[in-house]
Amino acid sequence: MRILAIAGNTFRENIRDKILYNLILFALIMILSSIALGQLTLGLEAKMIIDLGLTSVSVFGTLIAVFIGISLVYKEMEKRTVYALLAKPVHRWEFIVGKYLGLLFTLLVNVVIMTVGVALTLLYQGGTEPATFLRLLPAVYLIYVSLALTTALALVFSTFSTPALSALFTLFLWVIGHFNADLLQFATLTKSTTVGWIAKSLYYALPNFSNFTTLDSRNIIQSAAHSQAVDAGAVLWVTAYGLLYCAGLVAVAIMVFSRRDFK
Amino acid sequence: MTGLAATASRNRVWFFAAAFLLCSAMIKPVQDRVDARFARSPSVDPDMLYFASPAAVKSLSLGYQSLLADLYWIRAVQYYGRREEAARRQVRYKNLAALLDITTTLDPQMMDVYRAGSSFLAEPEPVGAGQPEESLKLLDKGIGFYPDDWRLRFDKGFVYFWALKDFRKAGQVWLETSRMRSAPPWMEGLAAMALSRGGEVETARALWERQYQNSSSREVKENAKNHLLSMQVDEMLWTVEFLAGRYAERRGGYPARLDDLVRAGYLKAVPVDPSGVPFDYDPHSGKATLSPGTRVRYLKVPYDYRDAFLQKLSSIFPK
Repeated sequence: MRILAIAGNTFRENIRDKILYNLILFALIMILSSIALGQLTLGLEAKMIIDLGLTSVSVFGTLIAVFIGISLVYKEMEKRTVYALLAKPVHRWEFIVGKYLGLLFTLLVNVVIMTVGVALTLLYQGGTEPATFLRLLPAVYLIYVSLALTTALALVFSTFSTPALSALFTLFLWVIGHFNADLLQFATLTKSTTVGWIAKSLYYALPNFSNFTTLDSRNIIQSAAHSQAVDAGAVLWVTAYGLLYCAGLVAVAIMVFSRRDFK
Repeated sequence: MTGLAATASRNRVWFFAAAFLLCSAMIKPVQDRVDARFARSPSVDPDMLYFASPAAVKSLSLGYQSLLADLYWIRAVQYYGRREEAARRQVRYKNLAALLDITTTLDPQMMDVYRAGSSFLAEPEPVGAGQPEESLKLLDKGIGFYPDDWRLRFDKGFVYFWALKDFRKAGQVWLETSRMRSAPPWMEGLAAMALSRGGEVETARALWERQYQNSSSREVKENAKNHLLSMQVDEMLWTVEFLAGRYAERRGGYPARLDDLVRAGYLKAVPVDPSGVPFDYDPHSGKATLSPGTRVRYLKVPYDYRDAFLQKLSSIFPK
């Protein structure tokens, strides 16, 4: 109950943030601009709308996750509101989990708004079969899971670092996370056992963001753009990966936050 | 003092307004200077491809390769569409094949890119890139991804037929395509036409006959019949022409009428076209033509086997 109260407050606090509205507005402008760009594709208008739309959902969702996530805990400490909060019967872990859930709910609302924007743009363009709208959902879902992971990363950094450094660390890990497959390939190619072992360990330790973009060697946005079904089993495994990684990161955030001295 | 401060404030406003206007007026000439320097600079290659490796572009796309494929496709279309710019280059469309390769590596499912892109590449200069070999490579890449789709194979045959003028190869590709379950019924007819044009007349005739006997489509049947009858008409006309030549060699002139060939023992009866209408005959040139009153729907396909047919006649009717 206390967690929900913190999550609700975090959500209310987030929706008052001007950066959120700027990012959503920019995302919606990008999605709408796909109508104009589609005219240049010689018959691939619907694909352009879906590609640009879902990419906008993912990119702007990531920016929202990073820029709001990094200040989640830091702002509370900077404004010293955390002292007032922790003086009440609230556990530190409840504070962190509540903050995280609050941002996840904010992201959910944003992703829904942006997805509705994509669907409306497709409707405006016309000629899209109803099944195509349903095919967007797995891609949107996996984008959301990847945003949850990005938020968890930002949350961890937010507990011990400044917002600028946290943003940098989160974005670095987000980029590195897309090259994880190269680490594994490097581990198999290298002649040194030690280097191979390190590369392999990093492959498992670093967040693998390509899990959320590629399912069974097919890009998830591409599958939506070509109106292809995705393997539900693969989606479940990727969800399990996302949940595990997020839970692990939230646990780290709780550990770091619990050890901080607020006296 | 207050009056002085107000005047100073008013003057400051005028100063900054004047500064704004001056800066605004300077923007255009300065930008033009910058543009002129860029235009003169020999080191800037407007036809440069920043990333030539499709695999590298895919790797750097961070999972957004679908959108990147669209953007590369738009770039390829723009690149192809700017004809005046292309005309100024040493190689008109140097990067077109590379752009299409990157596009289809980023999203191998873009059927329209394979089809339209191969057409851009195969079209002869100055309209197209005049790179049929690159066009075939792109189509083969597409066929690798869509092995059961007949359209890319149809396009491949088209490149052989129109761009490379290799009618036999076109016919072979279309014949293979016609055996696909998804292929339309007219594909076999197209193969027959190309093969006959490429000199493989008997294969073509067999295909037309099969289409005529087996097809359930009235249009396909009619088309096959017209091709068969047209081949028959061509061969009859070549025969008349050949025999009139032989007649002239022996008698010093072409026969006045076709009856003369019958009377001289060259023919059993006056030849008529498959609809039963006699041919028109010109005694000055010794050539016969279809009568305007014919009911044969003659399809003028420039077959390549006229010489081979006349040679065959020479062996049947030696001098």
